[in-house]
Amino acid sequence: MPEDIVDVLIIGAGASSAAAAWSLSDTKMRIVCLEQGDWMNPADYPSTKKNWQILRDIEYNQSPNIRCRDTDYPINESDSDIAVANFNGVGGGTILYSGHFPRLKPSDFRTKSLDGVGDDWPIEYNTLEPYFSQNDRNMGVSGLAGDPAGPYHKPPLPVVPMGKIGEVMGRGFNKLGWHWWPSDAAIVTENYEGREKCINLGPCNFGCAQGAKGSVDIAYWPVNQRLGVELKTRCRVREITVGKNNMATGAIYFDEKGIERYQRAEVVIMACNGIGTPRILLNSKSKQFPNGLANSSGLVGKNLMLHPWGFVEGFFNEPMESDLGPMGSCMLSQEFYETDPDRNFVRGYTLQITRGKPPVSIALQHTLRGDIPWGPEHHINFEKYMGRSVNVNVCCEDLPEESNTVSLDPELTDSDGIPAPKISYRVSENSNRMMEHGVDRAVEVLKAAGAFQVNPYGRTRDTGWHLLGTARMGEDPGKSVVNKWGRAHDVKNLFIIDGSVFVTSGAVNPTTTIQAIALYIADQMKKNLANLFD
Amino acid sequence: MSNIIATNNFLSDLEKSILVALLDVIIPADKARGLPSAAELNFLEYLEEFGADHVPKIKEELGELNKEALDKTSSLFFELEKDKQAKLCDLLRETKHRFARTILVQTLNCYYQDSKVLAAWGRKAGAQFPGGNEVPQGDLTLLDPVRKRGKIFRDITDE
Repeated sequence: MPEDIVDVLIIGAGASSAAAAWSLSDTKMRIVCLEQGDWMNPADYPSTKKNWQILRDIEYNQSPNIRCRDTDYPINESDSDIAVANFNGVGGGTILYSGHFPRLKPSDFRTKSLDGVGDDWPIEYNTLEPYFSQNDRNMGVSGLAGDPAGPYHKPPLPVVPMGKIGEVMGRGFNKLGWHWWPSDAAIVTENYEGREKCINLGPCNFGCAQGAKGSVDIAYWPVNQRLGVELKTRCRVREITVGKNNMATGAIYFDEKGIERYQRAEVVIMACNGIGTPRILLNSKSKQFPNGLANSSGLVGKNLMLHPWGFVEGFFNEPMESDLGPMGSCMLSQEFYETDPDRNFVRGYTLQITRGKPPVSIALQHTLRGDIPWGPEHHINFEKYMGRSVNVNVCCEDLPEESNTVSLDPELTDSDGIPAPKISYRVSENSNRMMEHGVDRAVEVLKAAGAFQVNPYGRTRDTGWHLLGTARMGEDPGKSVVNKWGRAHDVKNLFIIDGSVFVTSGAVNPTTTIQAIALYIADQMKKNLANLFD
Repeated sequence: MSNIIATNNFLSDLEKSILVALLDVIIPADKARGLPSAAELNFLEYLEEFGADHVPKIKEELGELNKEALDKTSSLFFELEKDKQAKLCDLLRETKHRFARTILVQTLNCYYQDSKVLAAWGRKAGAQFPGGNEVPQGDLTLLDPVRKRGKIFRDITDE
């Protein structure tokens, strides 16, 4: 029996993988994707259950260390200021993300030249613009054209409803003369490409039972499979193998029964996010690559960026039904996004306005804080908070630092015995100053909007949703892991397409940019097929 | 008052009586708003279905409460008059930071997922799918000042 050698082997079935597989499918190459998790069944999502408000606590928790599904791998984050959030399954992190879909901006690609910090990317915003647009169409992105905080683009679907909180907060921003705009969201607001429109279930980040949110198990993979891409679940990759010519030869993985398997391939694409990708590369040690695959620069796992994240919550006298609507997608302000030399920090942040909490969360939070008493006064005080809260999130740009790392834990392993990742991460002084400024501005706008109570929680730990920078792209093989089209400097048939390749983080949720990069890299591969390995 | 079903046998009769009294202290009924007392809900059924892991701690907390009642008033907690139950709870909450914490959390979880309670607050009970919710678009003309101000991002071709 001849050896089973596929043309393209993709590791991981999340946001970047789905986009790249879609793009590459028109080459008619044989493409196989290995995913360690399962297909999700939307009928199982919390919003289909009567106790949906509390299911997030365990089963759909964002932390793999709490969720502990057998498809998860543990992460040692004891040496990190921020705890990691992810999801392992077809769709990856998009299963639990909110669908908030702002793009990086032109200046994000030139932080060194413009502001003397971080590094310049080897590509620019304009390089990615057509891929952003293509991805918007594929994912089903809603939004309002004309946002003056970024280059013009027109999302294919009408904007997600702001609701009354959008009006209240919009007036607050206008009073201060600050920028605000309804968010782009990977949520279909009209029936689109076989998907039914959003019906405001609320908890987008427990999984969308309606299928309106653009998780890639809904938006991309069914199409990819019709185009011939093979997707194998419950396949957990241990390492990428290499031949004597320093080319990748395939992947060793464990199947559902824990049996070790080997898949050979002509090209290997890593798409396991900014933690999973360096973990596998560092686990892929060989005679040629004793420090891990594609790691001659020593930068695999370095420069981890996580977006320090702060919360400020405000409460208003008027009922707004703020707990209804897509939880994470309402509006944003990028008034403080770009560097201002008059501030005591470089670069900037986004203020992301998200909706209020559901009843159980409101009751728990405010009863435990003492805002809502026991006894006859309970109800009148619950009314003060229910449907009247607004969250202003501060998403700070995280600059790359080599001391922030993903490494292999010497003891911790997953259920197949594969060494688990260890995160060592500290929030920088620049980020702390930026956060302080952002929290103050969030308080200011909530007060301007009329909040009677503002709770500035500041930076919080459980917010490591954005996993970036651990296999950065660049022209110089000594200072980067992959070149400007995602090919490893050291291994000419190994590509990385996930958030690992980010050079800087910007100050926005990264999924749209991750997918644009994946589409761009796939396009470069197609354009260079004849000399892909030169 | 209580309709806690008797078939749940993971609490003794004494514990159930203390629990019913405590639930009514935490969240009493508000007839004007159409809100039931927490003691009127099927709390034990809720616990059995969603909070069984918490039962040992709840038994412990009920025992502590009753001991305090006996020590301080020489009465069983549930036999105290309503205002004395509330005063004792206030005292214990002031002096013991985590007093009845597990019972409180599970009570709020149960209460604010109850269909009658949610209906009284204008929310749909149970699964949100497939019914969903209506959310108004909001007035987008509020963006006029933002549009009027014009571009605010650094276009690197300008640098």
